Amino acid sequence: MTRATARLGRVSTWSVTLGVALLALGFLIAAQVRTEVPRVRYTSLERVPLVETATGLKAQQVDLQARILDLGERIRASETTTQGSGAAARDLAAQLDAARLAGGLLALTGPGLVIQLEDPDGPVPSSGGPSDRRVSAGDLRALVEQLSLAGAEAIGVNTERIVPLSGFLDIGQAILVNSAYLVPPYQVVAIGPGDLYDRLTSSAGFQEWIRSRVQPYGLRVKYAEIPDAAVPAYAGTVRLRYARPIASPSTSASPPASASPSASASASPAPSAPPSEAP
Amino acid sequence: MSFGFDDRRAQVTVALVLVLLGFLLIVQLRSQGSASGLEQLTSQDLTLLVANLNTRNDQLRGEVGDLESRLVRVQAAAGNGERSAQQLRTEIARDRTWAGLDAASGQGVTVALAGPVPASAVQEILNELRNAGAEALAVGDVRVVTGSVATGDPGALTIDGAPLGEAFSVIAIGDKDALAGTLVRPGGVVSLFAATYPDVTVVVNPTEQVDVPGTTRTLAPAHGTPRL
Repeated sequence: MTRATARLGRVSTWSVTLGVALLALGFLIAAQVRTEVPRVRYTSLERVPLVETATGLKAQQVDLQARILDLGERIRASETTTQGSGAAARDLAAQLDAARLAGGLLALTGPGLVIQLEDPDGPVPSSGGPSDRRVSAGDLRALVEQLSLAGAEAIGVNTERIVPLSGFLDIGQAILVNSAYLVPPYQVVAIGPGDLYDRLTSSAGFQEWIRSRVQPYGLRVKYAEIPDAAVPAYAGTVRLRYARPIASPSTSASPPASASPSASASASPAPSAPPSEAP
Repeated sequence: MSFGFDDRRAQVTVALVLVLLGFLLIVQLRSQGSASGLEQLTSQDLTLLVANLNTRNDQLRGEVGDLESRLVRVQAAAGNGERSAQQLRTEIARDRTWAGLDAASGQGVTVALAGPVPASAVQEILNELRNAGAEALAVGDVRVVTGSVATGDPGALTIDGAPLGEAFSVIAIGDKDALAGTLVRPGGVVSLFAATYPDVTVVVNPTEQVDVPGTTRTLAPAHGTPRL
């Protein structure tokens, strides 16, 4: 009896500790080996300079964007002081401000909504690939589109203002918006009418996105309605290399409809397919 | 007493295992911790990222150069009302075109769509064209501005309230070869649509001149105020 107790005591102190530790060790070694596999494959000679180049370019981009915003402000300040007081000069300054407001070149503050999107944490369903289980460029784009349809008049994603030419692109686990590299958490800020949240959440398109992306994969979405949502100014180029203005810049009237090509004029086969639902 | 000897040996073994365990735990945590950083990207993604950043930074440097010379001109024109007014008109024209207030013309592509086109397909094409550097976009007769989104059921789409009908075009001004190339590349939207929407026809046509109208919408904010 005493021998049995002593034996049990010895078993419970070291053997159990050792056993548990070895089990954890085995688990960690397995995990490490699995993590190492892609790492070894990609840690080739050309990868290290690529990471360094990308890091350097990212830093340059942040500097350049800050300089653009700063120069824009200084130009505005100079223009205001050198305008003179003539009615014509004031009119031109107002036209320029209106054009810049319309293009998202000025930061805006107003009542609105902040939506934070994050990758799932904790256990997620095993369905779908790894790319389904994180916030994608498509998710950000869907959210921005649904906010626009709900009446948002200005939208920002992290540091980037959404403008008519803002593209969304997946790169690994991050997303490029306006060619700027954004990482989670993604904060989508929208300025709009007081019922923007209600309009958004009751829209069929938004509900479909929640059903198809948020619920099955556990993406984390948080909302806050705030009275002073801040949307940044677009900090990029407004240079046009290919597009030439047609209308006279001094008139604010819309150009004649004849300036636009007719959609039916572009040769495309007559639609022969019967109407059907989207797959 | 062999008991003491066992005790010592077991203690040393446990200590060694725990040291190794701690080491591996840290290594593992560190490799997980950098998950959202650049280190996690594949060489292919890194190359794509570097190319994107390079293009974008070149554009930004051009913009900085433009703004610097504009600042100099604005300051120099301080005493000259006429010169200053002419500069302002040029800027207004450019910013209005960029925002979509004025019509524009230039080389680009026409993407003719026919059949039961879903709204998401139109948005997908617009996104591809934007990523390829489009400078002005229109769907049908509607200029795409901030907030323009195609919506509705396939075959009865609208954009900014205007019906598109069963056959319409997406028009983009920009480098016509780059714009067409991004759409028709292997794995691009044209091949994707052929597989996903077999009843939809897509014809991509790069041309020397396409026109896009100005928007009919008022783009002045109704709820937000500019932060100056």
